[in-house]
Formats: sequence, structure tokens, C-alpha cells
Amino acid sequence: MSLGATFLPPFPVSHKHLSLPIKGNKTEILISSYEDRFLVIATQIGTMGTILHARKEEGMPINPTFNVSVIFGKRDEQMLEACARQLIEHMSSSSGSSKPLVLSLGLKDHSTETLKAIVSAVIDNRLW
Amino acid sequence: MDSKKLEEEIKDFRLREEAASTSQSRREDHGAEHDAELQITCFSEVLNDVTFHFQIIRFPKQIYVWIGCNSAKFGHMYAAAPTRPNNMVSATSILGGSSDNTGSGIARRLVLKTGLNIILACSIPKNNPMLEADAEKLLIQKLISLGYTKSRREGKSL
Repeated sequence: MSLGATFLPPFPVSHKHLSLPIKGNKTEILISSYEDRFLVIATQIGTMGTILHARKEEGMPINPTFNVSVIFGKRDEQMLEACARQLIEHMSSSSGSSKPLVLSLGLKDHSTETLKAIVSAVIDNRLW
Repeated sequence: MDSKKLEEEIKDFRLREEAASTSQSRREDHGAEHDAELQITCFSEVLNDVTFHFQIIRFPKQIYVWIGCNSAKFGHMYAAAPTRPNNMVSATSILGGSSDNTGSGIARRLVLKTGLNIILACSIPKNNPMLEADAEKLLIQKLISLGYTKSRREGKSL
């Protein structure tokens, strides 16, 4: 039997949740910051959709290069990869953070407008 | 003009219906957010001197779960889903390589319990079945209390 209350540290993962309409579709955006990754989920369809992984390549302090790949879902949608690429570059340039990004996009359309709106909503509410 | 308004009202009604059927009273350490579309639950528990952190995000047709073990590391990611025609579950590792499949068993059993697609991220160290079992036990308890698990009656169809 333990004496006294167990001290629980504050929840270590911070997150932000917002909901906004994009081109008439209700979009839920969730941004979560873990110790060694960022997770961004943007969904209009009720599921997480396609999941991408983006990371900065090691060892190149100036002009870094990035690696973006789809780890689950549609592999032939370049706009989704472009979205991940924009976010990881912003993450790296604005905060210098080298944490990889897991981006999950469940969208009704993959138009430039929608993806730009998502990128700007995530950047406005970023946790980095 | 009328049909559009009617459509919107029907949509509103459906959302309210969905929210009413899934909402229950919840008290978490760090608050649960309610939304017709997305429900986020974060909590931590200590069991056998190990602190587990859980983040559960309930989408309408999917559940995302993160399990942290004494840390906030993201860990490996697994996807699992029910597969027709028979009630089989398929699970795969999508991030972190497949040599360490701590967590794929949990993902699999979550699909069986909830009937939904599961994305699980878990940083439980490998070769430690006790930790896995403890984490799963806490998680299942919470899922049952949140009402995300299927009732026995519905257990036949996946």
C-alpha cells in the first residue's frame, strides 16, 4: 500500500484543436507536440485519411533538405506531399526545430486553395 | 431557398443526434473536449511505478491513440482495421520499422473491442510484456468508460 497521493506530472503533450470551414467544408485541425515529433491532423471526412512523414535531413545546417513520404494512404497525391513539405520547412526555419512531422490529411478535395488554407491555419496555431 | 435550409437543418439535427448518443459525463485529469466531430481525451495514470500517458482522439469512424511510457516520445505507429468478410483484424506498422512490434497487439485488440479503424502510436519499450499489458488494461478501461467500445450485442458484425 502506498502512503499519500501519487504525484502526477502535468500532461507532457500539449495540443491545440480548432475547427474552421475551408471552401464550405468543416475542417478539424489538431496540432500535438510530443517530445520527438509533431503531429498535425486535418480532417474533413471523419477519419485521419492519408498520413505523411516529413523530416529534415541531418547534417546540413544551412540550406537543409527535407524528406517527405506517405506512410499510409494515398501515394499519388502530390499536393499532400507539398503541404507536408511546406509545414516542415516552416517548422525548421522559424524555430530551428529538427523534430519530424507526422501529418494526417483527410480532405474532401486536394485543391491548392484547400491546402494553402490548411497550411496557414496550422502555421497560425503552431506549437513550434 | 427552402431546400437548402432544409438540408442544413437536417445536417444540424444529425450532428446533434450523434453528439447526444456519444456524449456522457467525463472527468479527466486534463479535460476532454467535446465536439460533434472530434473528441480528445488526455490522461495519465501510474501503475506499478510506471507513469503511462494516454491521448485518445475519437473521430467519427476512427480512433487515434497515443501511449507514452514515462516520457512524451511519440514512438512507433501502427494501423489496424477490421477486414471483411470474416471478423479478422489486419494490423501493420507504419512508422518505426517492423522489428519491434510492441503495440501492434494492442492495436489489434483495440479494433476487436471498438470495431473501428485504429491508429496507435506507442513508445512502450520493447521486450516488456508486463508494461504492454498494463498500458492496454488502463486504455481499455478508459475506452469502456468513454463509451467507445462496442456492446456485446453488436459483437457479431465487425
